[in-house]
Amino acid sequence: MKIIKSMLVGASLALVASVSHAASSGNTLATVDPEADRLALQSYFQKRFPKVAVSDYVNGIYALDAPSREQWQEIEEFPPYEFDIEEGEELFNTAFANGKSYADCFANGGEGIRQNFPRWDEAQGQVVTLELAINQCRESNGEKALGWKKGKIAKISAYMASTSRDNVFDVQIPNDAAKAAYLDGKQSFYARRGQLNMSCASCHVAGANILIRADLPGPTLGHVTHFPVFRSKWGELGTLQRRYGGCQKNVRGTPQKTQGEKFRNLEFFQTYMSNGLVVNGPGARK
Amino acid sequence: MNKTISLVAALMMVSSSVAAQSFDDAFNAQRAMYGKGHSFTFEGQTYTTDHPEEVAAAVEANAENAAKLLAAAKDQHAQVVALDFDWTLTKKLLKASAKALAGGDFRKSMDISAQAQYHARMGMAQYHQSQKEWVMAVPE
Amino acid sequence: MRKNIIKHALLGLALIGASSVTLADYSADDIAKGKALYLNKKKGNCIACHMIPDADAKLPGNQGPPLLAMKARFPDSTKLRAQIWDATVRNPLSIMPPFGRHWILSEAEIDALIAYLYEY
Repeated sequence: MKIIKSMLVGASLALVASVSHAASSGNTLATVDPEADRLALQSYFQKRFPKVAVSDYVNGIYALDAPSREQWQEIEEFPPYEFDIEEGEELFNTAFANGKSYADCFANGGEGIRQNFPRWDEAQGQVVTLELAINQCRESNGEKALGWKKGKIAKISAYMASTSRDNVFDVQIPNDAAKAAYLDGKQSFYARRGQLNMSCASCHVAGANILIRADLPGPTLGHVTHFPVFRSKWGELGTLQRRYGGCQKNVRGTPQKTQGEKFRNLEFFQTYMSNGLVVNGPGARK
Repeated sequence: MNKTISLVAALMMVSSSVAAQSFDDAFNAQRAMYGKGHSFTFEGQTYTTDHPEEVAAAVEANAENAAKLLAAAKDQHAQVVALDFDWTLTKKLLKASAKALAGGDFRKSMDISAQAQYHARMGMAQYHQSQKEWVMAVPE
Repeated sequence: MRKNIIKHALLGLALIGASSVTLADYSADDIAKGKALYLNKKKGNCIACHMIPDADAKLPGNQGPPLLAMKARFPDSTKLRAQIWDATVRNPLSIMPPFGRHWILSEAEIDALIAYLYEY
């Protein structure tokens, strides 16, 4: 009996030790420190690629790999998303049936605000991405929601990004509820899933700029700044969460819901990691 | 004195139980090295390296058994879907198993069901493991 | 980096070369099956991350080490098998999918793959 008791003490001591270890690395709601996370990620990449300026990470893999940067710069000379921005502008400026328009839903008439998304919405108690805000705007004006991944919503989002270029990302985490959403996104980012047992971090932190066949995965720092992207593989424009779903399928997991809570929290975390970098979307990618 | 001894004993037991492999780890280590159909001993007992799903499928191939196995696989799959951690191949396997069952190829159906059920069980294990282990991948 | 790994692998080969190595004989059929698995994107797709000095294995990735001097590095085939089955046992942060534990390849397919790897 005594032995059992002491064993339990021992076990509980071990438990305490493991909990306090987790706490010291800032992965519980009480201890998670988004700003420390952001700086740790920056210093991780700076150590690995000391010659690359942090500000250059908005260019994704092209910040790290000179040969593909050249090809990409050629593409960007005649950007494949140019018509999408124009169409997006038209859509943005077309009035709803009730006479109102997107400009009425957003601060500053929707111009130059990309850097504030995703944002924690206290009234809704959830993370609101730019695409969710676009559809909420439509629905509150009696219009049908658009599909989430491509087409009109991506074009409108691309236009809004284009009016925000060079603005500095400034995602805010105002309270504990927002922090919980951030932590959930952080966990999603680092948790393995799918039959191939990979996390976002497997390829975009540890595996960044290392060949998977002929492809170089991009670094997660600066990952979100150039979205939506015109991806050569898609032959069209797509949103960040379209890419999330594609990544999850690539690791042979059933993708989570586009604009569901998990993906919005993931985008919240990922964009916070790029705070301090500038908006340069839409972008062109392989 | 007595107390000290029991405390030391307890600590030793704790540390040895920490050091000792769990059955799952021992099973996986054996399966990893030798594949299936291999015997090994764990804490004095003899086991084989066959997955429980494979053992369940190693019965007479008939409609009733095949239907039972497919139902069990679907049930396990529903559980991993509820965790949002299911794998893409598993759904296809469940369909293939149902098709084989309908076509009267019971052995094929049962073998596929075993794999699908195993996938679903591993998806659940992955969920629980990743809840604990994700922190290891965070850059310090 | 890659050069270094190769150097170490060759050094390992030289060191172990002296000791007698007994390996099961693998059939030509297994070797051919293993090669197909190595290259098949939907199966092993080992080429996505590992180079192997086979002229048909073009444009390999380099997330993982090159697969050279395999008999010297893995004189015990069960160690190589275990590594393919679940690389996270030895390295919890490994990006390598657990081909056996997640039943990405069947046990027979893993054995065929080993037959192919031991050709290099």
